[in-house]
Amino acid sequence: MKVYLPRPGKAARLCLLAIALMVVCAPAANGQDTQPDSFDSIKPTPVITGSTAYFSRVTGGQWQDSPSISPLLLFPIGNKLLLEAKGASTETWAKNAQGDYAGNFTYGLAYAQLDFIASRYMTVTAGKFVTPFNIYSERLTPNWIRALQTGPLTSPVTSNGSLGGMVRGGFPVNGQSVNLTYAAYFSTNNTNHITATDRSSGGRLGFFLPGPRLEVGGSYQQVLQADRPHSAGAYVEWQPNPLPLTLRSEYVRSSGIKGSGYWIESVYRLSQIPYLKRLELAGRGQQFFAAPNLSAATIKKLGALGRDTNEGDAGLNYYFRSDVRASATYGRQFALGHDANLWVFGMTWRFVSPLLPSGGAQ
Amino acid sequence: MRTRTLLLIIVTAGVLLFAMASWAKSDSKEKNDAPSGGTSASSSRPKMDEASRLEGEKRFRANCGRCHAAPSKFQPRMTATIIRHMRVRATITDQDMRLILGYMTE
Repeated sequence: MKVYLPRPGKAARLCLLAIALMVVCAPAANGQDTQPDSFDSIKPTPVITGSTAYFSRVTGGQWQDSPSISPLLLFPIGNKLLLEAKGASTETWAKNAQGDYAGNFTYGLAYAQLDFIASRYMTVTAGKFVTPFNIYSERLTPNWIRALQTGPLTSPVTSNGSLGGMVRGGFPVNGQSVNLTYAAYFSTNNTNHITATDRSSGGRLGFFLPGPRLEVGGSYQQVLQADRPHSAGAYVEWQPNPLPLTLRSEYVRSSGIKGSGYWIESVYRLSQIPYLKRLELAGRGQQFFAAPNLSAATIKKLGALGRDTNEGDAGLNYYFRSDVRASATYGRQFALGHDANLWVFGMTWRFVSPLLPSGGAQ
Repeated sequence: MRTRTLLLIIVTAGVLLFAMASWAKSDSKEKNDAPSGGTSASSSRPKMDEASRLEGEKRFRANCGRCHAAPSKFQPRMTATIIRHMRVRATITDQDMRLILGYMTE
């Protein structure tokens, strides 16, 4: 079955126009604010945060050990600006062809961006940032946040990093019952190995209902180089009020050679059982559909994105504290000729510290 | 490469051990589903009224709890920075941000 998407240029222009109209109309929709403005008196201080982790992974019988650290610098400037930069470095130990245990050091820059809070309804961002496409890449990627240490098969379908400008924000509409969130961006092409990005544009539009704690939204991305593929996505996240349960799902469809897929994840915290309240159970099912009619050379180049794959994952997280967590994940991947067991287990620690000695004092 | 590798392993092991050690010393009565510990805001700021505090807690659970476990409370100025970061990262509305900041710094 062939699915027709709107023309990329036209859709992108309509999306930008809709977002501009919403931002202009937001003050009227919002009505009067009742927030406690006295808290404006708290002056933000520079903070260094991030996470460190040690994970062992067994993928199809291949063992890897990987200690990693991902520091995040948050540097507020005045009342309107925030400089944020996140790096990542990982040492991956595995047996090489000679049977020796050898390490491979990698490092990168997840994002380095300057945020300008232009108004209550809009923040303007410049620099390298995480592409606002669906929710996983922006919100759930850090290893101290993600419920399962194996990632979604659809993550590489879209360009996850961007270098350029972005406008984003959120505001309540219809009283307090719905929060509308939006993001629109433009990215340039960059080939530096640390800041590598594609020339692309796109955005995301979401509706969050705080009452039932339900969020739904859609995303669009148009790559403006090479074979100029466009991708469309949708997501939903729901936390039913009576239960410590989170259900979330994403769908991605690409017009190019990178295929399409979806995943559904559930996370249940056993907070109602006295001796198990620090334990969290997680499960995820996902399917990836490779693009049709790929040549053998393209399939080889795409790797995992070149073949249809089904995967089921299950995991446990144990919170020693809110910031120290032990995790174990098992996944079974089904792909023609590439079935594999995926094991990941290890620990994460999320750290937070003021950058300056007197950082925390009022 | 080997020196760098050893250094990274030592640093990672060190911070994990530090975290475990501080966990062992921490108060075992830590709540699982609400922020805890930390330092209260300065007495120079007016106290939140009960309605705003409850609304702040509600917004905190609805926004922050969507992605991660409830963190401990931090110093108010650190909290203000983190909330500004999360406003951008998770597109939290201005009103929610203020209520959450008020709740987290009470």
